[in-house]
Amino acid sequence: MLLKLNNASRVVKSGGKKITLLDDINLNVEEGEFISLMGPSGSGKSTLLNCIGMLDNFTEGSYTFLDDAVDRMKEKQRAKLYKEYIGFVFQAYHLIDELTVYENIETPLLYKNVKSSERKALVADALDRFNIVGKKDLFPTQLSGGQQQLVGVARALIGKPKLILADEPTGNLNSKQSEEIMELFSALNNEGVTIIQATHSETNASYGSRIINLLDGSIITD
Amino acid sequence: MIKTNLKIGFRNIIKNKGFFALNAGGLIIGLTAVLLISLWVHSELSFNRSLTNYDKIASVMQNVTHGEEIRSTTGQPMQLAPVLRDEYGSHFKYVVTSARSRNYNVRYNENNIMIRGRFAEPDLANLLDLNMITGSRSALKDVSSVLISKGTAKNIFGNADPMGKIIRISNKMDVEVAGIYEDLPKNSNFDELNFIAPWELLKKTDNYENRLAWGNYWFQVYVQLNGENRLNDVSSLIEDVTKNNYIEMTREHKLFLFPISKWHLYSKFENGISVGGKIEYVTIFSIIGIFILLLACINFMNLSTAHALNRGKEVGVRKTLGSSRKQLVLQFFIESFMIILFSFAIALLLAFLLLPQFNILTLKDISIPFETVSFWGISFVLVFTTAILSSLYPSIYLSAFRPVKVLKGLSSNNKTAVSLRKGLVVVQFAISSILIIGTLTVVSQINHAKDRPLGFNKDLIVSVRINNSKVRQSFETIKSELLASTYVDQVTASDVKVTSAYTTNGGDFEWKNKDPNIEAEFYTIRATEGFGEMIDWKILEGRDFSPNFPSDSLAFLVNETAVKYMNLENPVGEYVRWGDNGNYKIIGVVEDMVTRSPFDPITPSLFILHNGRFLNWVNVKIASNSANAVQGALDKMKTVFQKHNPENLFNYSFLDDEYKRKFNDEQRIAKLIAIFSIVAIFISCLGVLGLSTYMAIQRKKEIGIRKVLGASIHSIWQLLSKQFIMLVVVSLLIAIPIGYFFSSQWLMKYSYRINISFWIFALAGGIILGITLLTVSFQAIKAALTNPVESLKTE
Repeated sequence: MLLKLNNASRVVKSGGKKITLLDDINLNVEEGEFISLMGPSGSGKSTLLNCIGMLDNFTEGSYTFLDDAVDRMKEKQRAKLYKEYIGFVFQAYHLIDELTVYENIETPLLYKNVKSSERKALVADALDRFNIVGKKDLFPTQLSGGQQQLVGVARALIGKPKLILADEPTGNLNSKQSEEIMELFSALNNEGVTIIQATHSETNASYGSRIINLLDGSIITD
Repeated sequence: MIKTNLKIGFRNIIKNKGFFALNAGGLIIGLTAVLLISLWVHSELSFNRSLTNYDKIASVMQNVTHGEEIRSTTGQPMQLAPVLRDEYGSHFKYVVTSARSRNYNVRYNENNIMIRGRFAEPDLANLLDLNMITGSRSALKDVSSVLISKGTAKNIFGNADPMGKIIRISNKMDVEVAGIYEDLPKNSNFDELNFIAPWELLKKTDNYENRLAWGNYWFQVYVQLNGENRLNDVSSLIEDVTKNNYIEMTREHKLFLFPISKWHLYSKFENGISVGGKIEYVTIFSIIGIFILLLACINFMNLSTAHALNRGKEVGVRKTLGSSRKQLVLQFFIESFMIILFSFAIALLLAFLLLPQFNILTLKDISIPFETVSFWGISFVLVFTTAILSSLYPSIYLSAFRPVKVLKGLSSNNKTAVSLRKGLVVVQFAISSILIIGTLTVVSQINHAKDRPLGFNKDLIVSVRINNSKVRQSFETIKSELLASTYVDQVTASDVKVTSAYTTNGGDFEWKNKDPNIEAEFYTIRATEGFGEMIDWKILEGRDFSPNFPSDSLAFLVNETAVKYMNLENPVGEYVRWGDNGNYKIIGVVEDMVTRSPFDPITPSLFILHNGRFLNWVNVKIASNSANAVQGALDKMKTVFQKHNPENLFNYSFLDDEYKRKFNDEQRIAKLIAIFSIVAIFISCLGVLGLSTYMAIQRKKEIGIRKVLGASIHSIWQLLSKQFIMLVVVSLLIAIPIGYFFSSQWLMKYSYRINISFWIFALAGGIILGITLLTVSFQAIKAALTNPVESLKTE
């Protein structure tokens, strides 16, 4: 079992009113799954991803990640956990504009205190694998959207995470680029990486092994 | 990691050139000012410190009670030092009598120069630990020898060897050069000690032994304490030496030791107690320095937190990639540190380049002590303090961003940050306003004193000092020869220049209805007939001295203040008994004249007719102010004085120049404060410019929408400027009481002073408000003119 949510909810206050963003979610994710979260805008897909990714917290219920109770952890332990096991891919890529392709991919390794020689080898491998060796010294603004997202995925994978969380990874891409990214996800999944993606697209969802439909913060079908 | 941080720092600087320029620009200017102020303060605090026996040297001063008032003076009778040596010798290593340092005419062959020097006992050389180049310090024991400084040696003898050469001082004392010493440090009270001549020689030549008793305080006594003797102990030990020896003493005298460490900064005495002096300016400028550093740091903080809006995404991404908060703080700190270090380097260069100008302004001889460890130590502390003050908060602020929020593109500008930024801007404006109020106060105080009615006409009067009593004898001849020139209008002699009366007489004046409890004291000016007419004084009652009244040799003219002081209703015709000098008749009252500092109250003064053959100064009124007449008169004077006084250089001074010089100190302070105020305002403006820029960016969408809805440029300008005006108003409310407090404190030291009026605050407020509006409008109008399609498209 990779992670387990029990009656997990997220309720926030806004202007004195309570707003329920996630309502009583129960979810088990096994290692090696490829899950697609679907549902209309505002249904809670992104919130759920953020909470699983430990960028946000559930306000109620329990969250267990690799047998550890995340909801009882301190910020520091949580950071250590997601630094080790989770990689993010964003709709808007979120590459650091001031860094080159090479440096963007390298950054997570810096935060993990990986040695310089090892970093070089790992980044070189990643560049090779994603066929972007020729682009390594370019800055994000010099790349097309598809290429940027490729770098984004490479960056998410460099730390060898168990889980990849992708929030609308193809939302800003055309269909051909989308297909490439989804093929990539499939291949990764076959290598054993667990993937949870939020998506609007039926086509994208079909790459996954499991589809979860959300509406108003609740799971309606699994 | 550090390498990466540095790299990103550089890329950020290049990408945000404008932001960097604002940030570094403010810092550079601020740090330059702080460096210059620190150098000045250091120079003031280290005054005299380079003298070897700094912690052991003191001068013997005395407190003399004049009625209600205690006056402190360094003046001592020549009898004091021998008594100290005989009776208290074990406490002192050296006790030295010295005549006061003054200008002497020094002649070698046909060369004549005027240089400052002293006649002193031989131990002065030991006390000052003179560094002899040739000869020995003890040479001074021979009354026919002299020690000269290296600079003087070059000045008089050029490259020739001065040793053994004979020079003549004041045209009467021949001495042989018996030693050359390294010039004394410029930053000390002995910087103009160009020669030391034997005290015994002066004593013999001027026949002091038979003329001067304990009551003549013409000299100074310096001591160097022995071993572990503590200054305060010895000081109280010798307290009554004068009392015990000065038999005819009428006033109370108390001796005390004044340590060399206090000579420069604490030289002002009030009622026998040292009450400060130049230390006030050290304090004022230290405060200004701290203010400016604070301003520069605030700027940095404000701009960095405002700029943080652009860095939010980066922080978010880095956090999701696993960066800890500590790592982010470090990253931003390193970036700031780079900017600060760069700014400091430029500031150091600027300070180095500006130093010559700064030295002229402050009359200093400061250089940057690059070679000392302490300089670099202090620089490091300065850079580090600046870094901590200015970048710690932004680093922490930035690193606290929540990734989910900033990645969604939500404004990360939380309310505390905004109000903190506003608070800091208020502090900036307040400091600038205080400095402006200060500048305006100093300037209006100077103008106030300049506009003070003098009571006489100082124009076109030239004074020449006659040191030689033989030459004084020929005053009448000199006068008639000068008057032969058409360029010369009048010629008189006087014992002092009318702009600097310093002779006081007191103790033995008696007149009708005098309060027996007061010990009357007057300033006196002695002059030849026609002096009043020359300076164009106003006679209010009675008449001027006149040759028609031979009895005028026993007559006074008095000033208005003297009339009040003496409490006489009809002064003219009254008699004043002046001890053994005789019974003087008051023949006239003159309007009050500013004969001393323009900042001081008028003192009761007596004017006495005197024979020109005994007076120090010859005054010449030039006929007209045409360049021709002035030059003609000076040429004539030169010819006449050189004929009668060939051994002395012809030196002259214009009375109005003399008067202008009285404002030098105040004017220098005014200039410095004004310069630093401008620096402060400039830094604040950079801050405001930066903030308004970010504000405009932040509200770009809002402005675009408003414009689409039909807002005019004017209304948008108003929208953006309004909050800054509020900030200025708040800061003025803070600055006015503080500025009032400091200004009135400063004014306290002048008795002739302005009342701080409303317009000073109004003007300061106007200046700050005007400059702020100008700065903000630049951005506001730019934002208002942007095509809304542009600003809305990017969203």
